[in-house]
Amino acid sequence: MSVLAPIICDNGTGFSKVGFAGNSDPSFVFPTAIATRGSASQSARAPAVPSKPGHLASKRGVEDLDFFIGDEALANAKTPGYGVHYPIRHGMIDNWDHMERYWEQTIFKYLRAEPEDHYFLLTEPPLNPPENREQTAEIFFESFNIKGLYIAVQAVLALAASWSSNRVTDRTLTGTVIDSGDGVTHVIPCAEGYVIGSAIKHIPIAGRDISQFVLNLMRERGEMATVPPEDQLKVASKVKENYSYVCQDVVREFRKYDEEPYKYFERYDGEHSVTGRKYSVDVGYERFLAPEIFFNPEIFSSDFLTPLPEIVDDVIQSSPIDVRRGLYKNIVLSGGSTMFQHFGNRLKRDLKQLVDRRLDASVAASGSTQRSSGVEVDVISHKRQRYAVWFGGSLLASLPDFYTSCHTKAQYDEIGPSICRRYQIFGSST
Amino acid sequence: MILLEPHNVIIQTTILEKLQKPGSLDVVFVDYDNVRFHLSTPERKTQLLLSMNIRCWDELVQYGALDVLRREYGSLLASKVEPEYNVSLEIDLEQAPSDPEAREAFVESLALLKRNALSAPFERGFETQKQLESSGGQGELMQVHYRDEEAMYIQAAPDRVTVIFSTVFREETDRIFGKVFLQEFVDARRQPSIQNAPQVLYSSRDPPLEIRHVPGLRNSEEIGYVTFVLFPRHFTKSVAPATISHIQLFRDYLHYHIKCSKAYMHSRMRYRVTEFQKVLNRAKTEVATTERKTASGRTMVSR
Repeated sequence: MSVLAPIICDNGTGFSKVGFAGNSDPSFVFPTAIATRGSASQSARAPAVPSKPGHLASKRGVEDLDFFIGDEALANAKTPGYGVHYPIRHGMIDNWDHMERYWEQTIFKYLRAEPEDHYFLLTEPPLNPPENREQTAEIFFESFNIKGLYIAVQAVLALAASWSSNRVTDRTLTGTVIDSGDGVTHVIPCAEGYVIGSAIKHIPIAGRDISQFVLNLMRERGEMATVPPEDQLKVASKVKENYSYVCQDVVREFRKYDEEPYKYFERYDGEHSVTGRKYSVDVGYERFLAPEIFFNPEIFSSDFLTPLPEIVDDVIQSSPIDVRRGLYKNIVLSGGSTMFQHFGNRLKRDLKQLVDRRLDASVAASGSTQRSSGVEVDVISHKRQRYAVWFGGSLLASLPDFYTSCHTKAQYDEIGPSICRRYQIFGSST
Repeated sequence: MILLEPHNVIIQTTILEKLQKPGSLDVVFVDYDNVRFHLSTPERKTQLLLSMNIRCWDELVQYGALDVLRREYGSLLASKVEPEYNVSLEIDLEQAPSDPEAREAFVESLALLKRNALSAPFERGFETQKQLESSGGQGELMQVHYRDEEAMYIQAAPDRVTVIFSTVFREETDRIFGKVFLQEFVDARRQPSIQNAPQVLYSSRDPPLEIRHVPGLRNSEEIGYVTFVLFPRHFTKSVAPATISHIQLFRDYLHYHIKCSKAYMHSRMRYRVTEFQKVLNRAKTEVATTERKTASGRTMVSR
């Protein structure tokens, strides 16, 4: 019998990426949202109970089947009687009832796979409590009777995804992952496939904030006057996605734009989603200022002021000393908000300066007798950054090792959910 | 979602997307019952190749699947089949209809590839029944082994077509759920509103009389048989396609609903647990939190 491809399911706070192992892109990317009967505020209400007499089919309605997920959920958000819920909060599953039904429809409606024939690879955020892992395993093994399950940490999968870059020679699972999605940015150090939990740092700047910043800039310049208010944030995020890049020097970039505005200013054309009226806006300094908030956060907010390279340096310095070299050498980007052009180069340069300055200081402190051989700093950018976690999963699940690292249904039945507290790390050549 | 849809969503969304913006592509995916698909652009960006591997292909060909596919897809059917797959369709995106409605119908028909291939034995069964009406006798018993341990049997008689499914329940819980569910199917038919639905019979362990002579049938607790009796009114020209779509997904439909029922049970159980926890919390003894003061009136702060 031919083994069917394992299913990779990466459920994030904002979007879920699902598909089959061996492909380079997920088959479906849709919001992690579920629209159910009953208003959003009634989420704690008990599920419907049979009340009418008669045989079972007439006793109970089909309310528990009356729901939509993903894009359909958002499309039905305004339908009377439906309420939209987001079952995942801050990367962790918040409402198991909704999540179970969300998975049910993902598998049966979208993937059209019989779960009993497939292995599954799921992802979890770093520092996910093992109880959550047990709950997930319970749902997958007992509701869906799946063949086998592997739960991987997102950061580790992002490291595996970087193997697709041609600059990576050894397949190691040691490195620092910068994961920046829509809500929050994490800096996560990993040593040989294990996350160093005590050193993780979060940055409250991510995709949503960049869009807001672009919007502010364009409003200040008066560009947004022609754009209908309900479309403004959408235009800002399109400008961010399509025109932004990271520059090496802000002052020089400003001068360049002022000397030759026709060369550097771009034009964005849009259309009102309801009336169909056309409008166009000039895109200027926000092209290089947008991603700059990672490197100079003071231009956007006054409560968070540490630049990204400094945070990365802090994270590595608070990790165990014997892995620090590996962490500096392999800094991996993942998530949509790291997709800016030259983002990796700028981060590498700034970080290298920090490290070199510290080395010079320690050389000076030792009275110039001890000379360091230097620390190699490298930031890996690759083509699959946007869905790096999913792609890493697809890569690992197509290795033959995958099946031996999975916990199978038989093992689960023998030991119970506690078996899923631990998973073997695999795939690395070191 | 009560009924499973007959078309494959991945084929539909991917081809619609590629019609908008052609690009190179190479994806593998699956459908129910061990069907594997491969969608790729081997030569140029506008030339899609959709290949399908289906377990019971040889049996389907024997029952006329090629004719059905030729009727549905005509010239799209590739003469050279991709290795490891059973059937390939060559889709030229430049030749696709430009009218939005026709285009949608075209993509929809592509997404129904698996359904069309599996409909061959049903169509043959319906035809045989027509012929038998005048001549009498029994039609050939068509067997489709669409899964490793499960099969579908179709037999025409002068006044009806019988479709029998065998299905295996690996879990004991599933078996009970399945039994209750199928019993409900039998009972629900007594309601006046659905008197015209096909008759459904369910037997666990013992195969129905029609297929008892078939060699190699398993006789164990795990296996169950579902029999549908279709009368000519169920497969008149206008309703036959819908009947075929529903009946061939019946096994997956059954398993889907078993899983939905389990999810429902789980949500009830979780609700119960939180209710019990509330009761338990009420039983906790309250810790006295009176403010303690010294003689001079200063409060004691516990550190």
